Amino acid sequence: MSNIISVSNLTLGYTGSESDIIKNTSFKIKKGDFVFITGPSGSGKSTLLKSMYGQLKPKSGNLIIGAQDMSKVSNLKLQELRTHFGIIFQDYKLINEWSVAKNVVLPLIIAGYGLDVQETQAKRLLKHVKLTEHADKMPLELSGGEQQRVGVARALAKNPTLILADEPTGNLDEYSSNVIWDLMENACQQLEATVVVVTHKIPNIFSIPYRHFIIENRGVYEVH
Amino acid sequence: MKYIREHIMFIFPLLAILLGIESYLIFDRLTTNYEQDLKKDYSILVVSKKDMTLSDFQKISMHIGSIESIKKRAIVDDMLNGMDNVNTQDIIKALPYFYTVRLSSYLDAVSISKIKEKLSRNKYIKNVETFGKSHNSNYNLFVFIKIVLWTFVSLMSFTSLFLVVKQMEVWQYAHRERMQIMEIFGASKMLRSGVLLRRAIIDSLVATFIASILFLLFRYLWIPTSGIDMLLQKQELLFAYTDLLILLFLSMLISIVSVMVVVMSSKESRL
Repeated sequence: MSNIISVSNLTLGYTGSESDIIKNTSFKIKKGDFVFITGPSGSGKSTLLKSMYGQLKPKSGNLIIGAQDMSKVSNLKLQELRTHFGIIFQDYKLINEWSVAKNVVLPLIIAGYGLDVQETQAKRLLKHVKLTEHADKMPLELSGGEQQRVGVARALAKNPTLILADEPTGNLDEYSSNVIWDLMENACQQLEATVVVVTHKIPNIFSIPYRHFIIENRGVYEVH
Repeated sequence: MKYIREHIMFIFPLLAILLGIESYLIFDRLTTNYEQDLKKDYSILVVSKKDMTLSDFQKISMHIGSIESIKKRAIVDDMLNGMDNVNTQDIIKALPYFYTVRLSSYLDAVSISKIKEKLSRNKYIKNVETFGKSHNSNYNLFVFIKIVLWTFVSLMSFTSLFLVVKQMEVWQYAHRERMQIMEIFGASKMLRSGVLLRRAIIDSLVATFIASILFLLFRYLWIPTSGIDMLLQKQELLFAYTDLLILLFLSMLISIVSVMVVVMSSKESRL
């Protein structure tokens, strides 16, 4: 399998801040891998993930996603690249003025699909995350677990090649967390997508093979 | 309530711009029309030694729009009415050429006197006489109002444009979270700003509609009962139906440009 993410001598940090969050780190993720990145709070897990979806430019080194060097990517190319990603956030990042169904098909709206495709896909995705009866509700009418299921459905809407999840169960109880892990396992197996999950703790219920990276002392190391 | 307030905050400055522009258009039309009337009444009588064409006159002054040759025969017949045994052919030969000269636009007194002077200096022209009303107080007042109105409309439009852009920024702030989420999923700037654009277009339509209604009421309800003769006679100039298209075009242009300014000035949230 070829690499979908190649990191070499990568240094990450925020503009205006002298200290680096990730320093001179290198690793590779292959297509179809399910990857957990763990580490203590403030270790730079979310920062690393942000750099993967282009929210943060590398300070130095190389971060290649697909064939795209993220330190040189133009805004236009980044827009195009992001349409191939499915991104899941700890705080769900749903559009509260839009219905659940419309939130789910956001990637399809962006890609310019027609209303009929959007409608069919919304039904299919909401059925997949068991939220069919909530299609017309607004996100704030749902529980946290349900909102995150909407977030997962949205991430899967356009059959992404890469799913990036930032603490997807960070705000959820155990039952809701298990539902989300189950959905992500299925996504990896059925879509053959690469999944990178940043989390505090790897769930016990996980049944598919995965790789485990840990962030320590500003470096990223594979432990499993 | 918040939704209505957000729209009103955009519609009001836009309406102010449209009312100002329409007022200017009306005054411009009234002034031009008045100028045309004055121009029609105004003529210069030129007596020349040789037969002259329009291009001969236009070489002397480019403001000359048309000439009309006065038939010598008519003048002679008029002069010799009732007289016998006179050789009219000789008189016609001896007479100079007479022309009524009209200007291409209505000019101020100084410019007219310059034209008269240029004509008088020409070696073939024997005499120049001007007829008609000179600048009157109405015309001067119109021109004055037009200038004042133009200044006022320019200042008001500038202030209102500023308010329009400010309101657009408020909208952008209100929609910031949605736009950021869309950006993360790869939406273009235009798609992210679609809501702003849609709102701006709807409000442009509303502002144009209100402005048109106000001027139609002015034309059909207020003017007939106002007792102002001059406006009554020129009622058709007060709100032309083509103005509706001009106002619609301008309001759309202002809205779309404002949205573009806000969208283009917003930074990508890339760190």
